Amino acid sequence: MGRPVKAETVVLWSCVAVIAISGLAPIAAIAVESFQHNGHFSLDYYRELISAGRFWSLLGNSVRLALAITAVCGLIGVPAGILFAKSDLPLRFGFMWLLTVPLVLPPYFVALGWARVVGGIPQAREWLFGFGGCVLVLSSVFLPITMLLAFASVSNVDRRLEEAARVVSGWPGVLRRVTLPLSAAGIAFSLVLVFLLAMGELSVPSFLRYPVLPTLSFTQFTASYNFGAATAAAVPLAAIAFAGVVVESRFLRDRDYRFRSIGQALFISLRHWKNPLAIFVVTLCFVLVILPFGALFADAFSLAAIRDAMQRGGASVVRSVMYSAVGATILMVLGFLLGEVMLLRPRKRRTLNLLTLALFAIPGTVLSIGLVRLWNTPATWFIYATPALLILGYTAQYCAVTTRLSLAGLMIIPVSLNEAGRLSGATWARRLFRISIPLSIRTLVCAWLAAYILCLRDVPIALMTAPPGADPLSARILTLMANGTPPMIASLCLMMAVASLVPLGILALAIPSRRPAT
Amino acid sequence: MNHIDVDHVSKRFGARVAINRLSLQVERSERLVLFGPSGCGKTTVLRLLAGLEAPDDGEIRIDGRVVARVGRNLVPPEKRDVGMVFQDLALWPHMTVRQNLMFGLNARGVSKREADVRVQELLERVGLKHRIDAKPHQLSGGEQQRVALARALVTRPSILLMDEPLSSLDDERKRAIVSDLLGFQSQFGFTLIYVTHDRSEADMLAARVCHLRDAQPVGQIFSSTDSVTEFDNFTYGDK
Repeated sequence: MGRPVKAETVVLWSCVAVIAISGLAPIAAIAVESFQHNGHFSLDYYRELISAGRFWSLLGNSVRLALAITAVCGLIGVPAGILFAKSDLPLRFGFMWLLTVPLVLPPYFVALGWARVVGGIPQAREWLFGFGGCVLVLSSVFLPITMLLAFASVSNVDRRLEEAARVVSGWPGVLRRVTLPLSAAGIAFSLVLVFLLAMGELSVPSFLRYPVLPTLSFTQFTASYNFGAATAAAVPLAAIAFAGVVVESRFLRDRDYRFRSIGQALFISLRHWKNPLAIFVVTLCFVLVILPFGALFADAFSLAAIRDAMQRGGASVVRSVMYSAVGATILMVLGFLLGEVMLLRPRKRRTLNLLTLALFAIPGTVLSIGLVRLWNTPATWFIYATPALLILGYTAQYCAVTTRLSLAGLMIIPVSLNEAGRLSGATWARRLFRISIPLSIRTLVCAWLAAYILCLRDVPIALMTAPPGADPLSARILTLMANGTPPMIASLCLMMAVASLVPLGILALAIPSRRPAT
Repeated sequence: MNHIDVDHVSKRFGARVAINRLSLQVERSERLVLFGPSGCGKTTVLRLLAGLEAPDDGEIRIDGRVVARVGRNLVPPEKRDVGMVFQDLALWPHMTVRQNLMFGLNARGVSKREADVRVQELLERVGLKHRIDAKPHQLSGGEQQRVALARALVTRPSILLMDEPLSSLDDERKRAIVSDLLGFQSQFGFTLIYVTHDRSEADMLAARVCHLRDAQPVGQIFSSTDSVTEFDNFTYGDK
C-alpha cells in the first residue's frame, strides 16, 4: 500500500495546475508557435524581426522609456516613501493615498487628463505627445509602486536596530547606514518592477503616439492576426521580464532580512524642514494627481454626458465590476493557498515565487496572445468565447500579488499557533480553516482588494481576450475614444474611478483598524 | 554634582502609565540596577535616559545639563554620550562585527587609524578578535552578547545603559560577561545603569538596586540580603 497523499500536496499541485493552465501553457504555446513556419521548425520570424530596423528602434525606445520612468520613480517615489514612513510630516498618510490614485486607475486616464490640460497650447501638446509626455504620465502611474514599497520596507525595519544607531549617530547616518541598507531589497525590487511594467506598457505610449515594442506585437496580432510574428516580437519583452525576475530572485532575495518589528516606527522630527517639504509634497500631489484628474473629470458631471455614457458603456461598467470581483475572488483563494503551501514547504517557495512573478512581469499583450492561441480551438470554445478567458488572464497575471500579500500576512502569525494545532491532532485542512484563515481575515480582504483593483484597471488583457460585445469598461473607453464626445468619455472615466475607489473606501471603513502597539 | 538626575519624570503610552513621577540620582561611575517585574517601566527609564523617548513630565539632567524636559528632548541621543546594550542586542544584521563597532566611531569622526586600534583592542578584550569579519547570524548567543557590549563601549561613553542583556544566557556565561563588564567599568569609569528582573544578575553586579513596581519605585536595596525598606535618593509621587 502506498503512502497516503497529503492534503497540502493535493492543494499545491492544484494551484500549480491553475498557474500552468492560465499562464505557463499559453506562454509555452506561443513560444513553440514562433519557431514554426508552415508546420516546420523555422527561425524565419526571428530573422525577419532582427533584420528589421524598426524592431531595434522600438526596442531602444522601450528601454529608454523604461529607464527614464524608473529613474524618476526612484528619485521621487523612494524619498517620498521614506518621508511618509519615518517623518512627522503633517497629513502624510493623506498625501500618500492621494499619490496612489493614478496606480489604481487605468494608466491612460492620466494621459487623457494631461491631453485636456495642454489642449490649447501647441508646444505643450507637442511635448506631451512624445517621449516627455510618456515619462510624465507613466511616472505618475508607477510612482506609487516605489513609494509604497519603500514605505513598507522602511516601516518594517526593526525599530531597535535604528535606535541602536541613533544612540551614536544623527538621522542622516542612521538612514544611510542602517535603514536604507536594511530596506534595500524591497526598494530595489520596486525599481525592477517599475522597469518591467514600463517596458510592457501599451495603452499610454499608444495614446501618446510614442512607438514602443509592445505596440509592434499588438499590431501584428490585431492587424494581421500573425501569431508567429506577434510572438517573435513579444519574446524580447518576455525575456527581459524573465531576466528581471531572475535578478530579483537571485540577488535581492538574499538580502531580505527578517525583522522582529515592535510595530512602531522611529520618527524623524523634520523641525524647520517641515513646511518646505509639505509645500513640495502638496505641489507633487497637485501636478501628478489633481491637475490631470481635475481636467479629466471637469466636464464629466453634466446630465447629458452621464446619460450618453450610461447608454454606450453602462453594461461595461457592470461587466467590469463583475469580472473583477470574480477574478479577485479566485486570485484571493489561489494566493492564500499558495502562500500557505509556500510557508509549509520553504524549498518550493523560490520556484513558486519565480513562476508567479515572471507571469506578473510578462506584458499583458504577450500573455493575451498566448491565451488566444491556446484556447482558440473548437474543443475549448466554451472558454475562448466567454469571459472565462479574461478571468484566466487575470489569474495568471496577478496571482503573484495575492500570493506575496498572503505569504507576508501568514508569516506574521506565530508558528507556535499552528504547531499547537498540530499537536492537538488537527489535520492541515482543519488548521487552515480554524487557525490560518480566521487569523488572516485582514490579509484576505487586502488581497481581494488589490486583485480587484488590478483586474479593474487592466487594459491589455481586457482589450485582447474579452469576448466580442462583452468588453469591460477599461477596454470600452479605449474603443469609444475614437468616436465618443469628450464629456461622455470623461463620464465613463468617472464611473470607472467610482467603481475602483468606492469599494476601497467602504472596505477601509469596514475593516477594524489595527490596535495600537502597547 | 550627580552624574544623572531624574527629577519627577512621568511617561505615559496612551492610557498606560509607564513611569509615574520618578526621581532618582546616580553618581559618576556608580552601578545602579533597575530591578522589577516585566512591565514596571524599567526599560522606559533607560529609553528616557538615552533620549529615545521624551518625558511627559519632569526633567532629566546629565552632568547638571538639562537634556530633556516636559515632552521635549533638548539633547538628541547621539549627543548624550551614552552607550546602550539592547535586550535583543540589536546587532545590525547586514554589517560585520567590525562594521557594527566602527559605525559609532565613524559617526563621531574618530580617525580610521584610531578607530581600527580601538576596535581591535576591544574585540581582543572580549575574545572575539578572530570573529571580526563575521556577521551577527554567524555568531553564537554568547558571542553576540559580547559584540553588543563591545559596540556599546567602543565610543567610550560616560554612561552605559543595559536592558536585560543577559536574560537569555546560562549562569556561567552570565558570570563571564559580568566579570568583563566590571573590568571595563574599572578601566573606563563609566556610570552603569542595568535593567533586570533577575535578582541573581543584580547580585553579580554588586550594585545599588532600585526596585520598581507598577511604574513606581518601591524601595532600594544595597545588597541582595536586604529587604526593601527605605527611600533615600529616589522618590515617587508627591513625596
